[in-house]
Amino acid sequence: MNESEKLRRSRVLFYEQDIGHIGEILEELLRLSKAKCAMLVDLDGHLITKVGGTTTFDDQTVSALVAGSFEATREMAKLLGEDEFSVLFHQGKRDSIQLAIVGDRAILAVTFDDQTTAGMVRLYAGEATAQLADIMKGVTERKGGSDTDRIPDSLGESARGRLDELFGGKKEGKQKPEDTSSSAKA
Amino acid sequence: MVQINFARRELSCKIVYYGPGMSGKTSNLEKVHEILPDEAKGRFTSIATDGDRTLFFDLLPLDVGKIGGLDVKLQLYTVPGQVYYNATRKLVLRGADGVVFVADSQPDKMDENLESLKNLEENLAEYGVDLVDVPVVMQYNKRDLPDILPISDMEAKLNRLKWPSMGSSAVRGEGVLDTLKKCSELVLQAVSVRAKAPAEAATTTVHERLGKLEAAARPLRVDKPPSAEPARAAPSPGPTPAAEPALPPSRERIQLDSSSGRRSPIIAVIIAAVVALIGIVIAVVLLTK
Repeated sequence: MNESEKLRRSRVLFYEQDIGHIGEILEELLRLSKAKCAMLVDLDGHLITKVGGTTTFDDQTVSALVAGSFEATREMAKLLGEDEFSVLFHQGKRDSIQLAIVGDRAILAVTFDDQTTAGMVRLYAGEATAQLADIMKGVTERKGGSDTDRIPDSLGESARGRLDELFGGKKEGKQKPEDTSSSAKA
Repeated sequence: MVQINFARRELSCKIVYYGPGMSGKTSNLEKVHEILPDEAKGRFTSIATDGDRTLFFDLLPLDVGKIGGLDVKLQLYTVPGQVYYNATRKLVLRGADGVVFVADSQPDKMDENLESLKNLEENLAEYGVDLVDVPVVMQYNKRDLPDILPISDMEAKLNRLKWPSMGSSAVRGEGVLDTLKKCSELVLQAVSVRAKAPAEAATTTVHERLGKLEAAARPLRVDKPPSAEPARAAPSPGPTPAAEPALPPSRERIQLDSSSGRRSPIIAVIIAAVVALIGIVIAVVLLTK
């Protein structure tokens, strides 16, 4: 891996137009397949965007579990001599979910109920996946540059106040361990 | 991997709690979950065995709030500590933006701590990531127990890269938020450093960029029990002054085998003896002729 590749792999940036384009594809997928919700999640478990569905579930937790589930299955596929299982399907009594790999960086998760069928979802999700893979490829291969003016100069410095407020102002215990190293207090 | 989503005005990071089995990784997350207010935390999810040992991971999403105009979200994970769960441990480590290494302070757990640290480096290497490029905070846990190693000993054996470190008692909730705060700070600082100085970021280690110049240049080999002095003096989180000389980054692997470092002088002596012996034989042959 060369150095620019290494840097590129250290973070991924989505701009408004990326999310807008992804959103259009997901909306079209929901319209055609009559599924309830479509989420695009990166392989590290971060939600990229979501269309449809309700607010009843915790997006962050579901995204992390989708990624974990997919990664575990991918390892299983390797042990069975496959590169990966590109589509996973979990069926519930009321709702079901289909997961499909998008390129090599994301997962498309589609939830649906008895208003449609697994076949319909699979058909339209397959088409959407191909389009999303192109967008993801563009995002991950995009050279840095224009992003620098939009990331705060010293995020760590800015974060300190907020982190103090959130983590520092709370009572953690009755007293600190006696021999806590000096760095702990810095 | 940090995800910055300008459309959602979100910055998402992944922090992984690593360490040997039963060192207190899950206890850390449980305490964080217990202490933080509802609006800052998501659902605590644990994929564990019937005996409460982590099977895949524990997950705690946190909403830190607005920082620099971005809504910062942290996903805290723990890995299963048992040696035989390495496949799942490696999966959880994928895309980690920061690591909290939870070490067990009990004397008989030191080997497990060292093995886990080595395993962390190996698993990161499989993703093409060097340990020196990852923000790490070292937590010496179980400081509430009676028979524990001094921090200085643990520093000397485990913290050769001079990561920020702190003692804790996760079950009592002592030191858990300090650890998380430090790691979050390092991760967020690394994001802006990488964005603002891509050329530097590509060629130096994250702890160098965060002020750990001296630490990154030190060899990692644990050959002999180091004195406690440098270990106490070294951990000083926060940026090192710019005047400090920039040393080349250390890319050395953590090496637990202490014997290999002494081999080269012995080999040199053997070679010299063989050469001398051959010389003597040749001389004797020539003289007899």
